[in-house]
Amino acid sequence: MKMKNANAGGLTNVEILNSFQSRGASMEVAVTIAPSEYKVFEYFIGTAAAHQTTESIYVLMDRLKNHDLAKAELLSIINHRPTLPVWVYSSCDERLGEGGARELVSVIKGAPKAVRRAGQKGAERHAPGRALGRT
Amino acid sequence: MFFLSEIEHTLRLPPHLLGLTKEKALRQELENLFLDKVIANLGLCVSVYDVCSVSSGFIFPGDGAPTYTVECRLVMFRPFVGEIIDAQLKEYNKDGLRLSMGFFDDIYVPFHLLPYPSRFEPDPEDGNHFRWVWEYGAANGQDGNAAAPYPINDIGETIRLRVHGISYPPIPLEQTKDAKPFAPMVITGSLDNDGLGPISWW
Repeated sequence: MKMKNANAGGLTNVEILNSFQSRGASMEVAVTIAPSEYKVFEYFIGTAAAHQTTESIYVLMDRLKNHDLAKAELLSIINHRPTLPVWVYSSCDERLGEGGARELVSVIKGAPKAVRRAGQKGAERHAPGRALGRT
Repeated sequence: MFFLSEIEHTLRLPPHLLGLTKEKALRQELENLFLDKVIANLGLCVSVYDVCSVSSGFIFPGDGAPTYTVECRLVMFRPFVGEIIDAQLKEYNKDGLRLSMGFFDDIYVPFHLLPYPSRFEPDPEDGNHFRWVWEYGAANGQDGNAAAPYPINDIGETIRLRVHGISYPPIPLEQTKDAKPFAPMVITGSLDNDGLGPISWW
C-alpha cells in the first residue's frame, strides 16, 4: 500500500452522512453499508449533522466568512452547531472574547436549519472538500 | 474529525468475486482490507469514499485471479489535538473515565484531566458505588461545603471533551490471558475547560 496523500482534505459530518445515504443507508435499512459504517451513521444521526444539508452549510459558511475563523474552527462549528457562547469558547479559543462569542451564536442560530426528510437521499455527491473551499 | 486519505494499493481480486462488476468487486475487496482497521498515524478507516482509478489488471502466471492497482480515497477518523468531540460515558473508575462514540471505544479521560477540583467519592444514595464529582467553586477558594457538586455518573450521558492526545501503541508481543483487549489507537481527552464535560452541566 502506498500513501499518495495522507491528508486530502477534511470532511464535515454531513458529507459523510450524504455518502452513506447515497449508498442506501437509512434508519431502517442497514444492510447496504458495512456494520462498522452503520455505527458511524448512527453516531451522526445523534448530532447536528442529521438536520443539515450541503446547502445549509454553504449558507452558514457564507455568514461566517467575515469572522476570520480558522479552518479547524469552522469545521468544528459546522459539526457541532454551538448554540451557547460557552460552547463557542471551547470550539474557538478565547480570542473572540465574550462579545464575539455571542455574535457567533446569533449568526449560527440565524442560519436556516435544514431538515432532512426521512427518506431523502443526500444531495448529489459533490467533490469532497468543496464545502471548505478546497479544489 | 474525519479526513480523506488517498492511497494506492495493489490487490488481488479473488475469483469468486468475478461475477460482480469490477467496481463492486474492487470496492468489496477494499472494504474487507481497510474498513474498521487502524493505520498508524493515519487513524481509523471508517469508509471507502470512492475509487479514483483502476489500472487495467494483469494476471500472474499460474494464478486464477486478476491483480489490479487501485487508487482510492478512504475516510479516516483522526481527530486533531485540541478538537472538541462528543462521546458517551461508558465506564469510570478511580483512574478516570472511559468514553465511547459507538464506532470507537478507546477514549480515556485520566483523573488529572478532569475539571479541577474533582474527587472520587462514595455515592450518597448508594454507599457501595463511587463516582466522580466536580466541586465547582472550590477552585475559587470558596468553602468546600458551599461548593456545588457536579457529579459525573450517568452511564450513557453525552460528554463533550477536548482531545489532549492520540497515541498508537505498538502491538504487544505477548499478552496475559485476562489483559484488556489491545487498543491500536487511544485518544486521551480533557474536560478541564469552559464548556466541557457532560452537556447537561451547561
